[in-house]
Amino acid sequence: MVIEMEKRHYIGIGVAVACIIVIAAVAPRYISNEHTVTLRTTGATFPQYQIQKWIKVYEQKHPGVKIEYEGGGSGHGQEAFLQGLTHIGRSDPPVKEDMWNKFLSTGDQPLQFPEIVGAVVVAFNLPGINDLKLSSEVLVGIFMGNIEYWDNNSIKNLNPDVNLPHKKIIVIHRSDASGTTAIFTTYLSMISEEWAQKVGAGKTVNWPVDNVGRGLAGKGNPGVVAILKQTDGGICYTELSFAIEENLSVAAIQNKNGNFVNPNKESIQSAVSQVSSYIPSPVDGYKEDMKQLLNAPGNKSYPIVAFTHLLVWQNKDGKHYSAEEAEAIKDFLTWILTEGQKEENIAPGYVPLPKEVAQIGLDAIDMIES
Amino acid sequence: MKIKRLDMFQIITLPAVIFVFLLFILMLSVYFYNALPAFFREGLDVYFKNTWQASEIPSKEYYGLAAAIWGTVYSSIIGVLIALPISVAYSIFVIDYAPKKLKNIFIIISDMMAGLPTIIYGIWGAFILVPFLQKYIMIPLYKNLSFIPIFSYPPTTGYSYFSAGVLLGIMITPFASAIIREAYQMVPFTYREAAISLGLTRYEATKILLGYIKPAIVSGMILAFGRAVGETVAVSLVIGNSFNMSVSLFAPGYTISSLIANQFGNAYIYRHMLPVLYAGGLALFIIGLIVNVIGIYLLMRWQKNVRI
Amino acid sequence: MSGYKTRRGKDISFIIGITILTFLGILPLFHIIATVFINGVPIIAKKGISFLTNTLSNGGIGPAIAGTFILIFLSSLIGLPVALLVGIYAYEYPESKIGRATKTLLQIMLEFPTILVGVFVMSMIAIPMGTYSAIAGAFALAIILMPYVAVYTQEAMREIPFTYREASFGLGLSRVKVIFQILVPLSKRGILTGVLIGLAKVAGETAPLLFTVGGLYESYPASITEPVGAIPLLIYTLVQSPSKADHMMAWGASLILLLIFLLIFIPIRLKLREVRL
Repeated sequence: MVIEMEKRHYIGIGVAVACIIVIAAVAPRYISNEHTVTLRTTGATFPQYQIQKWIKVYEQKHPGVKIEYEGGGSGHGQEAFLQGLTHIGRSDPPVKEDMWNKFLSTGDQPLQFPEIVGAVVVAFNLPGINDLKLSSEVLVGIFMGNIEYWDNNSIKNLNPDVNLPHKKIIVIHRSDASGTTAIFTTYLSMISEEWAQKVGAGKTVNWPVDNVGRGLAGKGNPGVVAILKQTDGGICYTELSFAIEENLSVAAIQNKNGNFVNPNKESIQSAVSQVSSYIPSPVDGYKEDMKQLLNAPGNKSYPIVAFTHLLVWQNKDGKHYSAEEAEAIKDFLTWILTEGQKEENIAPGYVPLPKEVAQIGLDAIDMIES
Repeated sequence: MKIKRLDMFQIITLPAVIFVFLLFILMLSVYFYNALPAFFREGLDVYFKNTWQASEIPSKEYYGLAAAIWGTVYSSIIGVLIALPISVAYSIFVIDYAPKKLKNIFIIISDMMAGLPTIIYGIWGAFILVPFLQKYIMIPLYKNLSFIPIFSYPPTTGYSYFSAGVLLGIMITPFASAIIREAYQMVPFTYREAAISLGLTRYEATKILLGYIKPAIVSGMILAFGRAVGETVAVSLVIGNSFNMSVSLFAPGYTISSLIANQFGNAYIYRHMLPVLYAGGLALFIIGLIVNVIGIYLLMRWQKNVRI
Repeated sequence: MSGYKTRRGKDISFIIGITILTFLGILPLFHIIATVFINGVPIIAKKGISFLTNTLSNGGIGPAIAGTFILIFLSSLIGLPVALLVGIYAYEYPESKIGRATKTLLQIMLEFPTILVGVFVMSMIAIPMGTYSAIAGAFALAIILMPYVAVYTQEAMREIPFTYREASFGLGLSRVKVIFQILVPLSKRGILTGVLIGLAKVAGETAPLLFTVGGLYESYPASITEPVGAIPLLIYTLVQSPSKADHMMAWGASLILLLIFLLIFIPIRLKLREVRL
């Protein structure tokens, strides 16, 4: 009897647990709307706030479409796009030829076009200090690891009114392959021969500060900023929107004309207007030169400005998207490049595309087959 | 094995066993096979050099896992050194001193700690433990003892080998103490009686008994080390993810598993990075294998001796 | 020989030392649970039930919870049968070569770095399938679940008195019948413990999901061959964000995860036998 009772008891528990799990596993299917299309966009975190804002506004107007935002960095964006693990890839720098050929080897045509303009800012964490001027030499010196303390004379001379502490400078960079890193290191390579020689430019570089124990790394722009906020004496590079959202102190950077310029909408727009940008046809995305907006001339131009890009498939023979998905992608991307570029849909820290650049994206969208 | 000896039981169960063995071998071969190009290209530099030179120009790529291997081993050793006294004390306390009712509660607590999702240790570690250690342990130690090399790095940031080690220590303590507790419980009662009847104090008696279970303590620590080596998410949130090699406890570092977590998602865009990450996985695989085999062997041998 | 006083003094400081170390050892658990509750309750109280049902951009973790349960369910479906059979085999042939090798293998797999399982499954399932999926995540979790359940099954069966076994064979029953119809039901308690421990373990795993499930937080999962989310994975992402709001969500999600863990764990402790994770 007793054994029998006990037995039943445990069978009971087992059945109950099993039931709960089955219900929990199956229920969502009935809750969820059968007709929603879920799209996924993966990669660069440089445009994170902008993309999230677009998704939010767009979803309100189009309840049948859900868009899943995934970070991971531009490198992950390109990889996930290549392997079909995402619908819309995001990469700040234009894809390199090698990778472009890998895309082509899938038998489908990749399309690349800019989605928005942003700026890489140099943010720091020094309690009580909000403004700092950094010349090209000092900026390189800090990230090179040559300048070890905040009260180094070269920084002091630029900022005579600032009471700089005798603290070690901790450089926070990315732990993943990142477009923000690519933009920033390309800029450093342009302004410093030494940087170009010793470190170079790319989505991942060998940070000299790591070897002296003054480097830290975070995943994605969010990870970098999260570490900066916890690190007294830290300095990092990130997209302007993160500095705005997280209230970070940002350095004024010396531009090509020798002026110290704070990153903001005007100074980014100035940089964009100074350059006549060349964007290749979406089918030849790898031909684009990332340097075009960097170190732009003009007294008011902020020097570290770049386009960030989207990647989609032309979807030949429905290779990557179902008809339903392709339609949703086309509609969403068209919205981004038209409605999405309007003032009310731009997130703080970004600047809309020049009209003719947006048109290149619209041409690309027309090519997507559904 | 002859076919005629295969009865129905074996026909049912053996396929599952074979499946698991094959799976294990497949896993090992996947890591080995995918790591091979890295060995051909860079030789032993893969393991013994500290560099992480990624580039979209393949000829410029060069990778070495030394910093990550060092960080993995160093933080795990710190973890084990923290877990050792606590888990031994814990076992003694639970078996010799805790009142009978409390005893069970203590065991439940330690079981819970062993099973708690590691991401919960991670969020607690990143938001609570790191700032705490930095403020109350690292900064005072640095201020007073920075002439000692291991304390010489200024703890401007809490992310460090030390933080990772402490977090690992907390995570592996319940695991190590479960092994030690079991061993301590297995000490024949006559030993205790004999020790007490000699008029020894509790301290002296315990010391003798601990000497008796020493092999179990050693294997418990080895197995705990094995567990620490493979921990990923909690550690990646507190170690700083920096390609730095240093004995300074407060300096940031890297671990193999964090490196894989951070870079595997973009390794395909480079031509030579993927094999290096697999080589890192292989190293982790083999460290784990060796450590566990030794730990399990020591424990089994000791258990056998005790039973006799 | 030292004097009585010093011996007595040593003894007292020893006991004090042991006690302090013991409490130092368990202090983190209380602190963790307290912190998770203190930080998690306000956000859940603020959002109410919608925290459990809404999508992430609407301030909820509904899809992540659904994903976690789907993963638990699928990984049990894949992992449990294999685990039970392997555990039973290891019990039946404790001294044979394969039996001993199986036991060692199980111990090794118990200790296996979970991130390696994730990478392995990504290369074997996610990439060939061309998508992240619940099924890939479940397979990774099943590999982690398997050794726990197998070891517990084997240990639970070993505890059945040998006489039962002898008696059953004495009745002339076949080995299959003796084991599956008599011995397995007898050790149900122990086996169930192992199953629950395995489930508790996989519910909280993060690393094996990093490269397998992809994540899905804006809509509910509709198919097991498509990406899903999971609570631990979501926490891992949110923790690495600088935004306070994301941190709040992470604490809330941690509280839910902790409750799920306790929900599985408490029955083990209250009703079943001593466990070792």
